[in-house]
Amino acid sequence: MQSPMHSAVNWALLGLVIERPSYAYELAQRFERTYEGALTLSSVSHVYTALATLRERGLVAELESDEPRLRSKRRYEATPSGIAEHAEWLIGQVNEERRRQRVLVTQLGALAGAPERALAVLDAYEQACLTEAREAPAQGTAEGPGVTRLVERLVGEEARQSVAAKLRWAQYARAQLQALPPRRVDAPPPSP
Amino acid sequence: MSLLELSHVVKRRRDGEREQIVLADVSLQLAAGEHVAVFGARRSGRTTLLRIAAGLESPDGGIVSLRGDSLRELGDSALGIGGIGYLRKTLRGNEEQGVLEQVGAPLLAHGRSVGDARLHAREALARVRACSIAAARICELSPGERLLVALARAIVLKPVLVIADEPTGGVGMSERALILTSIRALAGDGLAMLATTGEPDELAGADRALTLGEGTLRGPAEPGLAPVVALHRASL
Repeated sequence: MQSPMHSAVNWALLGLVIERPSYAYELAQRFERTYEGALTLSSVSHVYTALATLRERGLVAELESDEPRLRSKRRYEATPSGIAEHAEWLIGQVNEERRRQRVLVTQLGALAGAPERALAVLDAYEQACLTEAREAPAQGTAEGPGVTRLVERLVGEEARQSVAAKLRWAQYARAQLQALPPRRVDAPPPSP
Repeated sequence: MSLLELSHVVKRRRDGEREQIVLADVSLQLAAGEHVAVFGARRSGRTTLLRIAAGLESPDGGIVSLRGDSLRELGDSALGIGGIGYLRKTLRGNEEQGVLEQVGAPLLAHGRSVGDARLHAREALARVRACSIAAARICELSPGERLLVALARAIVLKPVLVIADEPTGGVGMSERALILTSIRALAGDGLAMLATTGEPDELAGADRALTLGEGTLRGPAEPGLAPVVALHRASL
């Protein structure tokens, strides 16, 4: 049995191939445009390595051609199992996101005994949210037909809504931490 | 030197026997042309912060200055030509008044002629992308259009800084985008902007964002350095 494919770049590249068949150079360009700020390719050869992995796993296949082609001119399309596994991975990502958020919140709760530290973490969390909110595309900037515009609208709305919820949660968490009763300072244990 | 600087501002309010701290040692600097957004819930002190920043209220402690001059000393002139434009969302005058008259009113108060006021009112409406309502009467306007008129009136004296407390408050979802587009257009036009909001999605496009809660302003209090941009993009 094959080990699970962990590389987010590989899955993201598979998503692009599912969107439409492409060759490596075009994929690299689309990758940069689509995932700018979220995922990075180390170099164009990263695309070839990823495509080789996807092909070995049967997730993409080379489009048939009568003529022999240079590696850079080979076009790839997604296989039915590639499409199915990509959907499964996406569902897994939803749970992963939820799990990570829960771990963060639980860890913050564990600092309740040292509220000043928890508040410092919360400040940093809030600043990260503010940066995300500032950088989110403004509503109404991705109107129009076409898949690209649709994706931009979905990405923008997801960013706006999730950051709004996070900021409100941060304010709630701060109020809760600040409402904690001051810690009792116990007398030091008697020296032996 | 900062365009606007709030230094260790404190504001207290008395509620019967109880004293409440609305702003506790708040400091903030704004650079020329910078768009700063402050996110805060209701009763977070956001309106007080902006009223103090505009010189409409005096702080109990600390100093507010515009281009290095204390607002206390500048008095009403801080809100005059080339100073601070404070967005007053309620339109004055009667409902039959024309939009140009409403927008140009601050110029008439400064002794300018009616023709001059109308000319600059048209220019201000164009800057907020509201030329199409120049010939309308106030009673004919939607809530969003009224807000655009108020925004045009706030910039008719050609301020260097606009201060806007929750500019989209009271406007429906369908018109909200219109107001935000106008605000971003003004900010992109080189006008400094200090605005508060209770909606995080209104922070989009701001140069800096801070939060206000329990009288404390959190976030970068000073303008940041320009982001580092690679001179050559790595080719793929």
